[in-house]
Amino acid sequence: MKYTPRQTESNVNVTPTSPIREFFVLMGGLLGIVILIYILLGLAVNLIVPHISVDLEKKMAAPFIRSMYAQDADTIRQHYVQALIDDLQVRCATLPYHFQVHVRKAPTINALALPGGHIIVFTGLLDKVTSENELVFVLAHEMGHYAHRDHLRGLGRAVVFMTISAFLFGPESGASRMVARGLSMTEMSFSRSQETQADEFALETLNCAYGHVAGTTDFFEKIPREQDPGRFGHYFSSHPENRQRISHLLNISRDRSFKLADRKPLPEAIKRSKDSSTGKPSPSAYP
Amino acid sequence: MYDLIIFLILITVGYIAGTLAEKRHYRSIRKRENAFLNLPAVTMKDVGYPAEKVKSAQMVYGSAVISIDYFKRMLAGLRNIFGGTVKSYESLIDRARREALLRMKEMAGGATVIVNVRIETSTIGKRANKKGVGCLEAIAYGTALTIEG
Repeated sequence: MKYTPRQTESNVNVTPTSPIREFFVLMGGLLGIVILIYILLGLAVNLIVPHISVDLEKKMAAPFIRSMYAQDADTIRQHYVQALIDDLQVRCATLPYHFQVHVRKAPTINALALPGGHIIVFTGLLDKVTSENELVFVLAHEMGHYAHRDHLRGLGRAVVFMTISAFLFGPESGASRMVARGLSMTEMSFSRSQETQADEFALETLNCAYGHVAGTTDFFEKIPREQDPGRFGHYFSSHPENRQRISHLLNISRDRSFKLADRKPLPEAIKRSKDSSTGKPSPSAYP
Repeated sequence: MYDLIIFLILITVGYIAGTLAEKRHYRSIRKRENAFLNLPAVTMKDVGYPAEKVKSAQMVYGSAVISIDYFKRMLAGLRNIFGGTVKSYESLIDRARREALLRMKEMAGGATVIVNVRIETSTIGKRANKKGVGCLEAIAYGTALTIEG
């Protein structure tokens, strides 16, 4: 047997391939599947939400909400807002929730509806409101989200998204932590129709509480200047254009011939506490 | 956000550094393979030389460890989801085996032929940390025969 030295020209063991192209094809496929699952599970959440009882909602929310009591601040204003909500609850919008107000120190001019009847009010909102009517409208708007159970829909989708991310990248991975952080913003973003419904609910409630609807649109007029949805459209982009919302509210007021009257000013104690925020509330305030 | 940036940096560095290293390695492999072309390494135990003509017989071996880069690992991870040929690992195994063979030949020095050549692969450093960057080791061994005349 003769040995002929020769170098093989082609390499059969390595597939000639473009790794970049392969990467994008696989990544695109994966993203497509994730988006599809997200949409499908999102639809499933919408179907399930009407069947979740308020009791079940409270039970599910309990582990997440517990940590919030520790962050509560600003007792005077917290008690004031709590009293407003309790009053609305008794007189006008009786919902199957026991609402609990949490005041958070943040410049955000907004309030959030969390599961289990926990309403977060940011000090940014409390600093900006000029009348009780205006504040009540914002609170009633959040109550409208509870009435339509919008908060569960948003949260349901957030949970779906977190589950997918934990499944794909592992619960401790950077990607999952990133998703969880981003959710604090997205989970509370509602669709246009949900916002409009909550606005209508708030208008009715305001009319019931004061017998007139003055102060309804005050809140919106503050937003465009300070948190322009066009430029910083991450959070408020989910809210319909504020101008549209204002005109919609004015139309309804006209159609239902709601009256206008003088606004009820904020109590002196609340105005004064704008600059000085007190420390933590006494534990006895929270059963 | 920072996690995403770090991820993108890692994947870019992995791709660029990995591709450059691979190209350079293949150039060196081809060059040395040409140099060793006259030293055959065969899997047969016996190539027909009479025993009295064998001047010396010596065990020779060579091993090489090649690490995957971040990009290849990512690509293989995506492949794990969909299935199919893990093309990104093919070149690693190919490089490791050829490098091991070359080192074995280098150890053989002036031998005439290397018989009974075997190649084995194993993973080392797998799951050494949680990121699971694995390395691949290939070892080639055989018997180098020096023939008289």
